Amino acid sequence: MILSPEVLTIIIINIIFLVFGTIAFILSLKIFFNWNINATSKKQYNLEKQSFLTATIIKYILFIKILLFIFFVFTLDKISNVLTGAMCAAGVIDATSYGIYLLLFKLINIYLFGFWLFIHKFDMNTKELKYTKLKFGFYLFIFILFISEIIIEITMFSSIDVDKLVSCCGTIYSNSSESYISSIFTLNQSLILIVFYSLFALLILFYFLKNDYLYLIGNLLFLIASIISLIIFFGTYIYELPSHHCPFCMLQKEYYYIGYFVYLTLFLGTFYGFAIGISNMLSQDKQKIKSYYKISMTFIIIYTLLVSYFPLFFYLKNGVFL
Amino acid sequence: MKNKINLYLIEYAINSLLRQKLKNGFILVIFTLLISLLASIFFISNSIKYELNSTLKSLPEITIQKLKAGRHYDINVDIIDEIINIAGVEDAIPRVWGYYYFENSGVNFSIIGIDEFENQYKDSLKRIIKENDFSKNSNEDFMIVGSGVKKILDENYYKEYFNFIKPNGSFKQVNIAGVFDSSLQLEANDTILLPLKTALEIFDMEENMATDIVVKVSNPEEILTIASKIKLLYPDSRVITNKDIEMSYQNIFDYKGGIFLALFIVSIFTFFIIVYDKVSGLSSEEKKEIGILKALGWKIEDVLKEKFYESFIISFIAYVIGILSAMSFVYIFQAPLLSNIFTGYSMLKTSFELPFVLDFTTLFLVFFLSVPIYIAATIIPSWRSATIETDKVLR
Amino acid sequence: MIKIKNLTKIYEVNKNNITTALNNINLEINEGELIILKGSSGSGKSTILSTIAGLSKPTSGEVIINNERISKLPDNFASIFRREHIGFIFQKYNLIPNISVKENILIPLIPQNPSSEVAEKLLINVMRKFKIEHKKDDIVKNLSGGEQQRVAIARSQINNPSIIIADEPTANLDKELSIHFIDILRELKQAGKTIIVATHDPLFFDLDFTDRLIEVSNGELLL
Repeated sequence: MILSPEVLTIIIINIIFLVFGTIAFILSLKIFFNWNINATSKKQYNLEKQSFLTATIIKYILFIKILLFIFFVFTLDKISNVLTGAMCAAGVIDATSYGIYLLLFKLINIYLFGFWLFIHKFDMNTKELKYTKLKFGFYLFIFILFISEIIIEITMFSSIDVDKLVSCCGTIYSNSSESYISSIFTLNQSLILIVFYSLFALLILFYFLKNDYLYLIGNLLFLIASIISLIIFFGTYIYELPSHHCPFCMLQKEYYYIGYFVYLTLFLGTFYGFAIGISNMLSQDKQKIKSYYKISMTFIIIYTLLVSYFPLFFYLKNGVFL
Repeated sequence: MKNKINLYLIEYAINSLLRQKLKNGFILVIFTLLISLLASIFFISNSIKYELNSTLKSLPEITIQKLKAGRHYDINVDIIDEIINIAGVEDAIPRVWGYYYFENSGVNFSIIGIDEFENQYKDSLKRIIKENDFSKNSNEDFMIVGSGVKKILDENYYKEYFNFIKPNGSFKQVNIAGVFDSSLQLEANDTILLPLKTALEIFDMEENMATDIVVKVSNPEEILTIASKIKLLYPDSRVITNKDIEMSYQNIFDYKGGIFLALFIVSIFTFFIIVYDKVSGLSSEEKKEIGILKALGWKIEDVLKEKFYESFIISFIAYVIGILSAMSFVYIFQAPLLSNIFTGYSMLKTSFELPFVLDFTTLFLVFFLSVPIYIAATIIPSWRSATIETDKVLR
Repeated sequence: MIKIKNLTKIYEVNKNNITTALNNINLEINEGELIILKGSSGSGKSTILSTIAGLSKPTSGEVIINNERISKLPDNFASIFRREHIGFIFQKYNLIPNISVKENILIPLIPQNPSSEVAEKLLINVMRKFKIEHKKDDIVKNLSGGEQQRVAIARSQINNPSIIIADEPTANLDKELSIHFIDILRELKQAGKTIIVATHDPLFFDLDFTDRLIEVSNGELLL
């Protein structure tokens, strides 16, 4: 078990999340089954009061969660110093079978909590509080994933064995590795690039068409294509090394923390893209949806320009591609 | 989704805090103390780690010890020839060192045997040998001691020489030829440098034996390979690489830091309860104030936001002041009392200066252990006050 | 136009302690009217006021103001309605004593986060109207009773609400201040505001500009 102060801190905060998240869960259950906006009973009035508590707890968790995620990445990096073989966060993730699932859960949960907040804002703007039942039912679902994430996190940290040798990102993210990640590399590099840029072009098209569903699906595909293309192609130009595919190393000091910008723009762009889909389902507020389109498209364009800059710059500087 | 920050609300929150100077001041002070205590411990730990890592850089890449019955034993220097032949090995140097327990003061001196003609494994030793001419005193037995040793010997009236008690009970008089002041402060104090022959005599070791053998490897990437080769050649030896030592130090620090974290959790938990209690117990005056706000058109969400600003302001100010006072406590006043926890209450206290190390992860760490916890403690009380039934309050 | 339909409010502390504060109240108040609710304490008049203001949810029945079902609105909508349309004047003013006049009057505006120009304009207007502009930076607890009264009224008027609700406004005032208050009330009535006052102060019982005097007793209206 790694008993570093950072890990302990993460576990402490997780326990707080657990306690409050469960309170929110119980309240959500009550609200989900008993909510009746038209009732004038004391019970209903109490539920209305409790819905504020639940919303506050969820906002708190989301806010701290995002900060904690950044801290989590820092911690992984620090731990990589004590794990034999690991040179960056990728090695730590790979040290246990839980690592990659934990990362996925964390990312998905941030998206989900964000969506909840979105629905909440919508709900509060309706006179009949139309979406309250939906929103708390949604939280019941999120809670399950949230608990899973915490359990996996605690399990992962307790099962990291300092003495076991771990692969560094160089071997994990390469053609020769046996991990499932290597299956990405069986894909043709040019093909992925074509897919990536085509999706980008499609997104711009859907933006002008303002077709919400197409834009939503486009965002989902774009997210997947971005991550794959980042690992296979764009990352290598950030590192200027054709064999360096690690998605984590770009978060480190040596690369001017560029990774944070890359991931942030990608996240914001796709998050607002998904938000459009949700807005479409909940209401028809054209104004709001238009602004989300703008925000989403802006960040997606920034992301695409950012990642495209590296191979272009490399080519201009050196006359060849890697 | 993006609204400009409501400065009026923040101002109201500050005024609200100032309206209860006593209660909020008390919470602020206690919280700041807790945070500065925690931050100090982390800062000290970081500084010592840093200092130690600088020490580690001068460590030999590989150290070979002979094991007999699982215990450390004298090693035969004849194996050096074979080790030097391993590809990648730059040099292999035998070391004679150990501890001498000086009963009068109850302290251990570290003794290092020096052979002036052989290569030294540490640069600092090289310098000391240059500065203090070993050859001129080659007839007599002499030693060069660290400043802390000199002090202890002076206290015990050994001003010009010292009598070692050999394992067989007889005395060995050794002159004090000089005092060195190593730049690596963690070591200077308790170390005595002796000619190799004298050291061997004091430890009752034979001429071709050594305490351990250090191996210099020019290419750091090859350390692991060479270490395993040595292990294969001499299965009864323990082969330690500098990375092993570095990791074990890091683990010890984390462990020690962890203990204090555990203690801190307890105090934070207590504090949590106090905060909860204090914030929960709304006086009728406070209840009335919130009733007024709501009658004047504040939503429940507005009241919650205001309460959040109050909590955030207090905890954040406590955090900033806590960090700053910890920094001055540790780096300006050199952390009296606290630093002993890490370097041990040895009589020969290391009097080194804690270097200024700023680690962002540590700042983040202290933040997470303070601000979110305080805010969490105020969630339920804030909600309770925001959802008061106004009509009852306004009578 | 305020319509109260079959309003009932029951407080249930526990199974044995049940109070019926209001029992099937029906009332219509037209725009621009001054209504005096007369009754002793505990009669339910304060409860009527808080229900109209949306501060209290009925056990049954409803309150409709300008075709908006106030009693059914969720908290944030009710609060927005309240700050836009209702001005509250309390017994004992309920000002925050250690801050200035200006800061007190500003309070209803805070959640709206107006720009400083807009805020400044509204503040100056209302302070001028109630003649306390010259004291705007003074700390409230240092003001005289009459001045504090004007601050409280200014605060209730900063959003220029069309409805004014006053709950026992003169209960803690001497005769002179009470009369002064009634003068201000007269001005507000002339400005076309709808005013509802709950009081047992006899000074209000034979005013010349009252539209209706309604007696409230044991949670019911005696018409």
